[in-house]
Amino acid sequence: MTFWKKEGTQKILSSLISILFGLFVGAIVVFIVGLCNERISLKGAWEGIRLIFIGILSTGRNASGSLTWGFNSANIGNMLFRATPLIMTGLSVALAFKTGLFNIGAPGQYLMGTLGTLFIALSIPSGSMPGWLIWILAFLGGVLGGMLWGAIPGLVKAFLNINEVLACIMTNWIAANLVTWAFDESNLKNMVEGTKSGYIYKTTYGLVDGTYVDGAGIATTKLGLNKIFPGSQINAGILIAILLAIAVYILISKTTLGYELKACGANRHAARYAGIHDKRNIVLSMALAGGLAAAGASLYFLSGNTEFFWSTYQSLPSTGFNGIPVALLALNNPIGVIFAAIFMAMLDIVGLQLTNLTAYNEYITDVIIAVIVYLSAFSLAIRMLIAGKAKKKALSKSDGPAPAAPAEPAPAVDLAPAADAAANTEKGGDEV
Amino acid sequence: MDDAPQYVIEMLHITKEFPGIKANDDITLQLKRGEIHALLGENGAGKSTLMSVLFGLYQPEAGEIRKDGKPVKINNPNDATALHIGMVHQHFKLVEVFTVLENIILGAEDTKLGFLQKKQARQKVEQLSEKYGLQVDLDAKVEDITVGMQQRTEILKMLYRDNEILIFDEPTAVLTPQEIEELMSIMKNLVKEGKSILFISHKLNEIMAVADRVSVLRKGRYIGTVNTKDTNKQELSNMMVGRPVQLEVVKEPAKPKDVVLHIENMSVASKLHKRNAVNNVSLDVRAGEIVCIAGIDGNGQTEFVFGLTGLEPLTGGKIELCGEDISKYSIKHRGMNMSHIPEDRHKHGLVLDFTLEQNMVLQRYQEPEFQHGGFIRFDNVRSYAQRLIDRFDVRSGQGPITIARSMSGGNQQKAIIARELDRNKPLVVAVQPTRGLDVGAIEFIHSQLVAQRDEGKAILLVSLELEEVLSLSDRILVMYEGEIVGELDPKKTSAQELGLYMSGAKRSGKEGETV
Repeated sequence: MTFWKKEGTQKILSSLISILFGLFVGAIVVFIVGLCNERISLKGAWEGIRLIFIGILSTGRNASGSLTWGFNSANIGNMLFRATPLIMTGLSVALAFKTGLFNIGAPGQYLMGTLGTLFIALSIPSGSMPGWLIWILAFLGGVLGGMLWGAIPGLVKAFLNINEVLACIMTNWIAANLVTWAFDESNLKNMVEGTKSGYIYKTTYGLVDGTYVDGAGIATTKLGLNKIFPGSQINAGILIAILLAIAVYILISKTTLGYELKACGANRHAARYAGIHDKRNIVLSMALAGGLAAAGASLYFLSGNTEFFWSTYQSLPSTGFNGIPVALLALNNPIGVIFAAIFMAMLDIVGLQLTNLTAYNEYITDVIIAVIVYLSAFSLAIRMLIAGKAKKKALSKSDGPAPAAPAEPAPAVDLAPAADAAANTEKGGDEV
Repeated sequence: MDDAPQYVIEMLHITKEFPGIKANDDITLQLKRGEIHALLGENGAGKSTLMSVLFGLYQPEAGEIRKDGKPVKINNPNDATALHIGMVHQHFKLVEVFTVLENIILGAEDTKLGFLQKKQARQKVEQLSEKYGLQVDLDAKVEDITVGMQQRTEILKMLYRDNEILIFDEPTAVLTPQEIEELMSIMKNLVKEGKSILFISHKLNEIMAVADRVSVLRKGRYIGTVNTKDTNKQELSNMMVGRPVQLEVVKEPAKPKDVVLHIENMSVASKLHKRNAVNNVSLDVRAGEIVCIAGIDGNGQTEFVFGLTGLEPLTGGKIELCGEDISKYSIKHRGMNMSHIPEDRHKHGLVLDFTLEQNMVLQRYQEPEFQHGGFIRFDNVRSYAQRLIDRFDVRSGQGPITIARSMSGGNQQKAIIARELDRNKPLVVAVQPTRGLDVGAIEFIHSQLVAQRDEGKAILLVSLELEEVLSLSDRILVMYEGEIVGELDPKKTSAQELGLYMSGAKRSGKEGETV
């Protein structure tokens, strides 16, 4: 098998092409908006286009007012920091997809993770136990909250055969209201910094003699990453997320549990026939997905430099939903999720750069991000296109047919079963 | 061939290639108006590809299609429909959540101001169904009806569209002998009305009974066309397989030993109606014998097997396997002493999106040979799959890593049979193990089952095909409306007598308690 015909190559290539395509369309949007906006000159539009593609390397403007480029440690560090929760929600959606479930409940699970994490982190008086233990308890508490929340649609699906999408959407809003209510009733609202309202204490606040003191709480260790990326919010959370992605990859592709989960997802009836507990596995799969999404919230809020706006009953965290495009872009590969999440976080940073450095306002950047995300979701279609090309090439190469020789692997097997049935049958034609 | 006949469809020198393979290599097929023309060939001979070309699903690399002598270009199924070519596919193309009526009119709906005119459609379908004796419940959802009724729905779909060239792809695979006879007379009627039929089948009996001419394909090549009245079954099967084929099952008389499976008053609830689908069934299967449950499709055989294997709970009765009461055991627990070749190989038998090797260890992945500490031992899985592939001659494009979906039906079935027989359990439950397979594959599977019997396994065969029932089994139990209505000795009975039991016209004793 040559490099270009490998399935993996085609998958990665398809995602890269769709990303480039998305960036290209984003650039066109920037250009058109620039033309329509009298405050933006042609030069401004050109700056915008360049920022869309390589905004992550922008270092601001120099004295003469033109854009400067280079390694921007703050940007890159912040990108990795923002990617952390996205990796987790992306993993959540990807794991569910791999097992045949559509987890649109990541926002709710994320919120429940936030609830569990913040309550534990802020309720344990500082000094009563080592900080690292509080951190671990808070992290696990969040994960547990997410797992329970994810298990609900799983249970409803397994035992009542109600579509998990429906149950997820409802549990999302239940979570939004539940979380708002719980924090509203709590005494975790930030009263120290009087200028802010509606925020919960950061985890750096610790409970000392009944009052919250900044610096007495906990925060994820930086592990020296802040030395590599000075000026950024980065911490060890990104490493934990990457480790978890690898763990999910191993779980799915190397273990018997992963095999069971995939079998249930791909064909529940066959799994049952083989004696696999299909119901248990559906619940387990959703619970694991919920735990992963919640872990994203835990890592985000335990960083110590993030604040939770608790009155969230009217909106769901976009990080949860963004797990879906991340998983799609990664074609549900857990390792791919790492890169897809980093890419999404990069778009975020690029948006900020665009707002800060040019006359484009922040809302246009959201539009552009949406366009890019939307087009990125086409990676599957592009994969089909590449696979089709490869097939045609194989066809034109094989002048004399050699019926006994094993047929060239047909990559898009699941997409064109009939055609590939023929292609893959060693000695016959197709199925008759 | 004659010079004069009016060919309604001609496929001349069709060549269709897929990467690495010529599925059709210079094939010529000429269909006369008003004839039944059989297309005969093994799995993978290229019959379906040829029909897909005719139906516009594939474009041939070379060759020409003529309708009434004029060249036509068929780019997609719509073109085929416009030429009044209709097809009943081997794997039904029905919308599961739609009713039978909705499926029949789908794509050819009569509308008035954008509203469906179901009443007229219903009338027309009812007329057709009465005229051709195709019994269907128009308001039942397809997912709830039997495979046999789904087939009839497909045929009605074609008739509803007034097609004049009718392609039947393995239409009899799921029908009972009586239904097959009916279908045969329907086909003859259709031909009398001037329709032309292309009849794809492996079943030599049917071809001999109904077809006027037969074209034989083998491995993508055209072997020849013969008149059925000038040939016989043996000659046809030799043409098809390319070597002399054993049409009869060769086996010694059974030497039954201890009872392996003992079922007492077993009942299973029905999903379609309030009564039990399986009612008070008692039977024994001994080591070293093949016991066949015969019956018309939908008489409780499926539910019986589900109850036995644990896919559905029992509503009453007791199952003893190897002396152990397993009626409350889980599917997995029952599987310790039981292999199950399921009726529906796509639904239960295989995870189609898994590779062949993943499918080969579907029940066994937790055995120490295939996992260590929860991690799959991929090299052992690979070598095990390769061993089964070699032993059972499962053909696929990429061996163990072939996606199951891409394999031909016959090889999918062979893979399941390889997996189940290699598990080496005292009881083998085989449900329609040869459904839709060709002569060569059937010969192989039958010989495997007989070999298992001779090794001392108890074999419980569930089959709808009379020929298989009569030739393979040592004892026949007939199931009718969920009850065992008779026990027959295959050596002393006939297809006619069996048919009478199957249709409920005859039963021995009361409540089937003779068993």
